[in-house]
Amino acid sequence: MRRVIFGCVWALVLAYAVPALAHHSPAAFDRTKEVTLVGTVKEFRWQNPHTWIEVNVPDAKGNVVLWGVELTSPTYLIRAGWKSNTIKPGDKVTVVVNPVRTGEPAGIFRKLILADGRELTERPARLGTPDSK
Amino acid sequence: MSSSMSRMAVAAVTALSLVASACGTGPATPPAPEAAPAALPSGGESAGTQLSALAPENIAKSRPPAPFDVTGNWFIDVSQNPEAWRFGPPYPKLTAAAQVHYDASQKAAKEGKVYRDDIGQCWPAGLPLIMTRYWPMAMVQIPTAIYMISGFMNSVRIVYLDGRSHTDPDIIVRTFNGESIGRWEGDTLVVDTVGFRGDHHWMDQGGASIPAGEQLHIVERIRMVNGQLEIEYTMTDPEYWEGEWKSTKRFNRVNDEDIQEVSCLPDLNEHLQSTTSKTQVR
Repeated sequence: MRRVIFGCVWALVLAYAVPALAHHSPAAFDRTKEVTLVGTVKEFRWQNPHTWIEVNVPDAKGNVVLWGVELTSPTYLIRAGWKSNTIKPGDKVTVVVNPVRTGEPAGIFRKLILADGRELTERPARLGTPDSK
Repeated sequence: MSSSMSRMAVAAVTALSLVASACGTGPATPPAPEAAPAALPSGGESAGTQLSALAPENIAKSRPPAPFDVTGNWFIDVSQNPEAWRFGPPYPKLTAAAQVHYDASQKAAKEGKVYRDDIGQCWPAGLPLIMTRYWPMAMVQIPTAIYMISGFMNSVRIVYLDGRSHTDPDIIVRTFNGESIGRWEGDTLVVDTVGFRGDHHWMDQGGASIPAGEQLHIVERIRMVNGQLEIEYTMTDPEYWEGEWKSTKRFNRVNDEDIQEVSCLPDLNEHLQSTTSKTQVR
């Protein structure tokens, strides 16, 4: 049964982990809050400066809500094991995001859990240091 | 044709004839015997006579060898501080014109909103932020210039090393990266940049919005220190702050990654809801 789990996790470390690699200000996101989305991939776009996932997520009332999930560039996703075909429309996925502060259905990516249980994150944006390897 | 249009047409034809005559292409004016091509002045040439930095004749000119070569990919060193990409705080004393924006951005941040995130709307980051925006900067150095392409939106910056002067302010095309002229001082490359766009151009953002204006003047003292590229920034803009704004940045070489094509387009932002959400204060 698909469901949406909303959870708030006070973890200041998240603020440290989300740098300014986004082409826009990251201030729109509440980095102290995590939302876990369980749904179906509508679109996965592999491109610069941002990769994004659109996920159809049923809510508690049975309505389907389209969430937009912003990811970093493929440069850092490749380093974390992603490929352009890691997910495709129709795939069942679980995506953890830091949501935007307004309550709109959008967030910045934290973690992907595939149907087979594999988890994917992204590498830190620190090229030129061992962190990004 | 109206009489005014006729006058304009006659004037245009007359002007073209004069230009053609001056260029020696007009049929009615025989070339003067002394009309041999004039030699270009060396260095500081005026617009229209300046040899391109890529002209073989310019590249081949005799110059002292450059003390160092920045050719490579460079990435801001944030290993000690993830906020090292920003040029403040601390900030210089802001003018009233800047304080308005700063205060508005602080108020927006307290409300969980983002004030005038022009970069998020695909406006160029511009200097100085383009150098440090968490994307590698590819640099290629030749005797006459350093060509920089940022992995961030593929922004182009050229630092001329061929002795030219800044373009006449009356004809310069203002840009977000400005016009950069470099000269060698011992083991340091000193780069002077002016000619900036004064709209949609920010020194900082995200709760600390400070504008960059047309009077922005940036001097970079660039050195190679223990394998890192070190740039000491001295920035003035009397429209928006008092005195000199100083900051030193260090960059690491990136030898396992090349920059890629990047496209920031309205269509992209339609899929990045945070850039269009109610969090945005225009």
